[in-house]
Amino acid sequence: MKKTIYVIAFSILFLSACKNDKKQTESHDASMEETNMHQQDEHSSMDNSSMQGDLKSTTEKNSSSSEIIDAYLQLKNALTEDSKDKAAEAGNKILTAFSNFDMTKLSDEQHMTYMEIMENSKEHAEHIIKSPIDHQREHFEELSKDVNDLIELIGTDKTLYVDFCPMYNNNKGAMWLSETETIKNPYLGSNMPTCGNIQKKIN
Amino acid sequence: MLFFFLIVFVGIQLVPTNHNQSSVISKTEFNNYIVVPKNIQNILKNSCYDCHSNNTNYPWYNKIQPASWFLEKHINEGKKELNFSTFGDYSKRKQKSKLKSIINQIRDDKMPLKSYTLIHRNTKLNELQKKEVIEWFTKLKDSV
Repeated sequence: MKKTIYVIAFSILFLSACKNDKKQTESHDASMEETNMHQQDEHSSMDNSSMQGDLKSTTEKNSSSSEIIDAYLQLKNALTEDSKDKAAEAGNKILTAFSNFDMTKLSDEQHMTYMEIMENSKEHAEHIIKSPIDHQREHFEELSKDVNDLIELIGTDKTLYVDFCPMYNNNKGAMWLSETETIKNPYLGSNMPTCGNIQKKIN
Repeated sequence: MLFFFLIVFVGIQLVPTNHNQSSVISKTEFNNYIVVPKNIQNILKNSCYDCHSNNTNYPWYNKIQPASWFLEKHINEGKKELNFSTFGDYSKRKQKSKLKSIINQIRDDKMPLKSYTLIHRNTKLNELQKKEVIEWFTKLKDSV
């Protein structure tokens, strides 16, 4: 009898010790994660500060990208006003602008990347033409990357700002291009018009 | 009048349709191009490939017009948006874009289409499947 009690007592002790151990590792994991996150935070703030240092970047002066950029900016402005119809209209202009683009001046290397950007952008524009505003914004996010890459590829003679909204898409954040220094957020529209910061100035 | 419709109905049964089925497995097929875990493969095959690949698992009513035309149109539109059978042919830029759209569409319950899951009950994704697919595709998107 005594023996059984010992065995039971011992196993209870043992089991509870196990549990504690588990809890400890769990909380340890959690704190590890926290420190990781802090480190990431520090990183991103460091990135920001280094960005501020060379906020200005010069891009090759090239006016051939202007029609595409103008159509893009029209779309951006429509989204800042929460206007689905105006955004759809701008989507059409983007399609035309890409069709009008003179590819003969591109180098062979540029040509490949340009074709990829064009194909992708046109698809996004097509979706923007026929979709509700939330979906337009999802495609606008991708289109913004494309237009930004296009500027990196062939340049522009415009002065533009690369803006970033940290809150869009469940705080994943998204960038856009603007012609004005004042922030007008195309992702959140009138809900939060001034959310965002300038990451880079082009020209 | 009824007789007229009957004639038309019988008549359209004779119009041939193109079947979206191919025995060729291309190198650019999603499964060959990317290592896809079994559980994700099953979900894709069961809920996506009917309209987003070169191989449709046709339902019985495909034998009847005009249902078959309706399906053909759906499949063509679906493949134009996204075709898993030729995924590897897309540029990296397009792949990334498509992966993001897949994630968003599943997250927002826009895909598989309501009209499809209504008839094909077993193609609807449950919350666990949604979570698995979204997590896996997010990882994939970040690695492309």
